[in-house]
Amino acid sequence: MKLTEDDLYRTSTQFKHWSFTPSQLAAQRLQTNIQASERVKAAVQRQRAQRAKQLDPASASESDRNGTPVPLDREVNCLTVAEEKKLVDTFCEKAIELGGFFKFPIEVTATGIQFLRRFYLFNSPMTYEPQTISRSAMFVANKTEGHHMPLEKYAAGFPKATSEQVLAPEYLLVQALRFNFDIRHPFRALKGGHLDMIEMARGNAYTFASHILKTAALLTDAYFLYTPSQIWLSAHLLADELLTLFYLSTRLPPSSPLHSKTLTTLRSCAALLSSHHTFTSPTTSAADKAAKDKKEKEEVQLLIKKLRQCRDPDKLDLVKLNQAQKRDAVDGEGLEEKKAKRRKLEREGYQKEADSFWGPELPRRENGAGGK
Amino acid sequence: MVISPVLSPKPNPPGPGARPPTMKSKPLAILNSSNVQPPTAASTPGDTGRDMAEQMNDEVRKQFKTGAKLGEGTYAIVYSGHYKSDPSSLVAIKKIKVNQDYKDGIAMDAIREIKFLSELDHPNIIKLHAVFSTKDQNISLVLEHLPLGDIETLWKTHSISYSPADIKAWANMLAQAVWFCHENYVLHRDIKGNNLLIAADGTVKLADFGLARSFADPGRPMTYNVITRFYRPPELLLGARHYGGGVDVWSMGVVIAELAIREWFLPSNTDFEQLVAIYDVFGTPTEDSWPGVSQFEFYTPPDDSSVPAPANGTGPSHRATSPSQSTQSSIKRPQPLTYWRQRFPLLGEDGIDLIRGMLTLDPRKRLSAREVLEHRYWTNAPRPTKKEDLPRQGSGEEKMGEDLKRRGGEVESGRVDKVARKLDFGAMR
Repeated sequence: MKLTEDDLYRTSTQFKHWSFTPSQLAAQRLQTNIQASERVKAAVQRQRAQRAKQLDPASASESDRNGTPVPLDREVNCLTVAEEKKLVDTFCEKAIELGGFFKFPIEVTATGIQFLRRFYLFNSPMTYEPQTISRSAMFVANKTEGHHMPLEKYAAGFPKATSEQVLAPEYLLVQALRFNFDIRHPFRALKGGHLDMIEMARGNAYTFASHILKTAALLTDAYFLYTPSQIWLSAHLLADELLTLFYLSTRLPPSSPLHSKTLTTLRSCAALLSSHHTFTSPTTSAADKAAKDKKEKEEVQLLIKKLRQCRDPDKLDLVKLNQAQKRDAVDGEGLEEKKAKRRKLEREGYQKEADSFWGPELPRRENGAGGK
Repeated sequence: MVISPVLSPKPNPPGPGARPPTMKSKPLAILNSSNVQPPTAASTPGDTGRDMAEQMNDEVRKQFKTGAKLGEGTYAIVYSGHYKSDPSSLVAIKKIKVNQDYKDGIAMDAIREIKFLSELDHPNIIKLHAVFSTKDQNISLVLEHLPLGDIETLWKTHSISYSPADIKAWANMLAQAVWFCHENYVLHRDIKGNNLLIAADGTVKLADFGLARSFADPGRPMTYNVITRFYRPPELLLGARHYGGGVDVWSMGVVIAELAIREWFLPSNTDFEQLVAIYDVFGTPTEDSWPGVSQFEFYTPPDDSSVPAPANGTGPSHRATSPSQSTQSSIKRPQPLTYWRQRFPLLGEDGIDLIRGMLTLDPRKRLSAREVLEHRYWTNAPRPTKKEDLPRQGSGEEKMGEDLKRRGGEVESGRVDKVARKLDFGAMR
């Protein structure tokens, strides 16, 4: 009984409420921007109208209550979607610094930033000032991630903010978050995936490649034909092709002519290793393996049988041969050892020549024996 | 481990179905052609004071009609209620009270409960239909209506008789709920009979996620001040700061045991007594039976004359004597199988084997929630009773009100002996 990652993710609020296509995301931001701009313009309009009623029409260009000069006749210059996004992005960056300042665990900071980004999908920085919201978002993120920091201590970390200012936008924030507090971060997934990869390399690929090195690599001409590096990489290629190709590409850029050359060599070495009967890929079935082993055994049995019929009778008893050689060496005292040996062999050769069966073998045997 | 499904298709359109597009303002009409489903009631030029988020919240709130008050606690007030569109679809509305003692804004219990219940969708876990806030800035949780009381009242009500097959059915629903939480990397940390509510159709539902948390990263310390005492596993009583799903499995074992004997299985008045009660049944843990047990903060070695007594003042003063010192024998032996057979005839051999697996002192040897579900108890005879045939208790709506109004670890008044320790927020992780 095991739920897949897919099963788990599909029931998450992150998937259900906070996953978008790029065009959906752009459209949502545009909608938020349009609404906020309208509201700002309407509010300014109202204020101006109110002021116009109260004030002498002569004083045309007047400051508003906050001291910001707003020319009466000019349309308010609202932020564009891109400008809003840039502002939000900036405050997200500042939130990382904030998290660093308070030494929050990364998931607290990360959750706070996602809260901020979610909040500004439905609200504009023109309506709610990002600095105020980000303070509150980070505080709620602390509570959400079970990393509680007392409000007083948190607020004291800011030169200008009070506890009340941190708490004030809390309801606004959680409402905009639609009470979805759970953020699925990729941190744990990275650790898991990384462990999986180590496991792949160490557990399966390493064990498998190491097995090839202890069998097929020793039992074929691999050592004659390839370097140690080529052999292990080929064995690893057979164990885990993707991982090995990736590894290779980190060492040799795929654009380099050496890359394809090396790979060709590795593939031919891998072909050699995998041609050996001891080689079984993870996909080989037990039946295939048994059939392969049986075929191999039969072939070898036939060969041994054949060998018995074509053995060199002279070399059947190496003990005797060795003794004979020693004897010859004693007999041929005064003669050069090599000469004596050759003579003996030549003598034997003539005898064999008489034997029509062995005749054709003579010259080769003479050379070979003479060299020893 | 967790790897997000990179192959998951993007939801289209986003958001729940309950967001009919009602386009009012002219500038927004251009969005009609896009595939985005905008929030309802997009602001009209006259509608300047209301945010989109606020409007979405109002939309949610307007879906429900709040009815009679079912219960009130220090943490929450519970009302009955229903969907306005369908008065027969009942809900329980839990309004979180603003806690006067808690000055730090929205309570963590409420955040936790909302956070986890929003993510967990399972037939044996109480369903969170919606969350909304009211103008007075109270958060309300719209929860599944579970009118048939809870597991604790079930075994306490002696007019109700039930069979081994009934216990198996209830226990299995609990086991599935816990398994599902753990598959989702959520620790409940307050499993007990009165957090297991019963739906109108007899289904058992795990409720109260006020103490829940996600599995910690290895090495990150957690608080041991969780789980109502009778259900608290030995590692938490000994002060473990690193633990896993085993804590819930222990609680689950105690709940099943209580169902089977129809009384408290491991009652006590203090944390210290709780350890004594556990050791009386399961024996005193030793380094042999539980490697590493002596490393726990509150561990005190059994009074063995061959071992020199520890220097005074090294341990916490209230832990001056070890639970095993209160009896004559130095190391208690675990109860033999005959004890289990005599005390738990309703569970049978398989059931006894299962709860002993769940109630293993060493959490590493304890069954995992998945292993619990794989146990032969569920598949061997007798078959668990079908939900519709399970014995029921009468009007339990008030009970639901009582159960839902509590905060994590809290019990109703008059049973203060069992109150879980207050969460220590300083140590809280």
